Amino acid sequence: MKIQDKLLNDLAPRKFDKLGVIWISILVLIIIAGIIAYIDQIIKGQVVTNMRDYALWGIYISNFVFFVATSFVGSVIVAVLRLTHNEWRTPLVRVAEIITLASIVMAGITITLDMARPDRLLNLFIYARIQSPITWDVIIIPTTIAISFLLLYFPLLPDLAILKDYFKDKKPRLSRWYGRFSLNWKGSDTQKAIQTKSIKIIAIMIVPIGLMLQTIDAWLFSTTYRIGWDSTNMGAYFIAGAVVAGVAALIVVLYVVRRTRKLEEYITDLHFDKLGKLLALACLIYLYFNMNEYIVPTYTPTKGEELHLTTLLTGSYSYLFWLVTIGGLVLPVILLLFKKGRKPLPMFFIGLVVVIGSWWKRYIIITPTLLHPFLPIQGVPESWHHYFPSLHEWLITVATLAMALLIITILVRYLPVVPIQRTADEQEKLNNDIKH
Amino acid sequence: MKNRINFRYIFLAFLSVFVFASSFQNLNAQNAKKNKVRLKAQYIKIMGGESYIDITATSKIEKQNVRVSGIEITVYNELEEENIELGKVTTNMKGENKFIFKNFNSILADSSNIYNILISFKGNETFKKAKKRISFKNADITAKMVVKDSINYIRARLTDPNANSPIIEQDLTIQVQRLFGPLILGDEFNTTDDDGTIIVPIEEGIPGVDGNLTFEVVLNDSDDYGTIKALVTAPIGTPIIDESTFDDRKMWSPRNKTPIFLLIFPNLLIVGIWGLIVYLIINLFKISKSKN
Repeated sequence: MKIQDKLLNDLAPRKFDKLGVIWISILVLIIIAGIIAYIDQIIKGQVVTNMRDYALWGIYISNFVFFVATSFVGSVIVAVLRLTHNEWRTPLVRVAEIITLASIVMAGITITLDMARPDRLLNLFIYARIQSPITWDVIIIPTTIAISFLLLYFPLLPDLAILKDYFKDKKPRLSRWYGRFSLNWKGSDTQKAIQTKSIKIIAIMIVPIGLMLQTIDAWLFSTTYRIGWDSTNMGAYFIAGAVVAGVAALIVVLYVVRRTRKLEEYITDLHFDKLGKLLALACLIYLYFNMNEYIVPTYTPTKGEELHLTTLLTGSYSYLFWLVTIGGLVLPVILLLFKKGRKPLPMFFIGLVVVIGSWWKRYIIITPTLLHPFLPIQGVPESWHHYFPSLHEWLITVATLAMALLIITILVRYLPVVPIQRTADEQEKLNNDIKH
Repeated sequence: MKNRINFRYIFLAFLSVFVFASSFQNLNAQNAKKNKVRLKAQYIKIMGGESYIDITATSKIEKQNVRVSGIEITVYNELEEENIELGKVTTNMKGENKFIFKNFNSILADSSNIYNILISFKGNETFKKAKKRISFKNADITAKMVVKDSINYIRARLTDPNANSPIIEQDLTIQVQRLFGPLILGDEFNTTDDDGTIIVPIEEGIPGVDGNLTFEVVLNDSDDYGTIKALVTAPIGTPIIDESTFDDRKMWSPRNKTPIFLLIFPNLLIVGIWGLIVYLIINLFKISKSKN
């Protein structure tokens, strides 16, 4: 019982401090600015963006791909580590589940922001053509949202019941909400059996669903006959990139949560060390696929491909390309090879750089290809030959990122970020093992 | 009052700028150097069809050859004593046009049976005047399909209708009409014999709509006769079979013609996954209703 009291004291949700309120206010302001820009986009049409006939997918789509990639963290950390019996995952899983849900929900919202007529969203389902990768995407995203929600919710039930009792006298209203969401959890054998079975099903399901989501996202591009996209490497390339983005996002959020909630006892240096090794491995695998993606075509390029590669490697996108490749992949790997590099603070900065690199990586996957069609760009204004997002696009995109952070912040505020019941069970088991 | 005067001066100053600017422009236009126009002309005769002159107008402007559009060109029948105007044409956006002889018999030849045509551009504000002369003799090609030992041949004869004699040692080309341009059959040039005749075998298996092939026998851009073309249509091709997949279930078909395998497997996956999701949601209800 003592263990649970201490855990509750450490892990039960707490009110935001001053910094937390400022953080929430900034996010809300950014979101309001984004909503205003979006309303203007709806009224005036997508002419307010810098997307035109050629660059018809701009940062909305690269942002969407980034969210989809980040959501993969649920499959990697929760499911894969669970199926491989890596017990050290316990303090990380809840944050990973929260990031997964926030990212995939925002991916769904972001894709509708790219639609000039969002009121026709339902037509995507009504007139779905199963041959089209767009339709596969339309199907897989709600599926992943549903499974990500269940992935977060099932393991939460015992903790919600604990919080119901914990807040019974202190905050009766909050306690009632926890009670409603805990679904009358009493920890009975029947309930535990159903919960364990359900979590096992979800853990198995989310791996293929996560792989499908990333692959479909990749196939949106690779099934299109365009320079830089039409590649059989794309599915695996996107999966590797998703592991990088997801693990890096997890490291950043974990560091902030650990610091603000003072959870050093639970989220230890060992966790950062292990996540650092995982991120280094992910970056190396992603680098390997990058080499496949860029080096092989340089040997046998068509005229269009040569132009595309030149633009990326030495041309107008080269600064961004090399910054993303070296800054977002090579340097992190080198730093993570050292034990000091895998300490929490350096890991936070490395994770942040990798996340930013992952975002821009999606930008350079999408935009340069669109500006290199097979037939030369002719008969259009000069400005259509280039693309850089407009103010509306930036405001809306930054608002979606803020919205994802707001969802994470709210869930971190009201849910125990480290599973209470599971941690208690593990500590009890550990104590018993020591006694025996 | 002072302000009003100032405004008048300003207005006059503006007006004078425009007046001077437009006067200078006129002066410049008068001094501007006119460009030379280069006329190209080719006489073409389609046997059993029309005879015409293909005219192209170009000019070298700032070291670049550009097509000259919208200029009026007059075509004359040039005789020893006078020039008879045959008609006028205006070049199109590509600097081209076709002058069709409405009645070829009305054109007069000189004593050597040579037709002399003068193409003339009078000149305008931008371009200097230009002329081009072409001369040609009349010639005919008669062509037909013949079969020898089950092999198809095109036999063609080039003759001078005025002298009623064969034209020898001229190179004719046999080609078959295709969608984007003719395909040459056999050798590129087939020289006419003492009888002005050539005979060229036609290979089997050339595809054609309903098996029909249109062959062209061409005397191409001859110095003496211009371009003469005779057409022969024969049903000796391999009929083109319509291979449209419009009614088939393909990856590129509309949604009502989705391939069956693509209906079965993704739908099985969707039903399987969503079945499990529904099962998990039912489990939530079971947890909620559990009394033990």
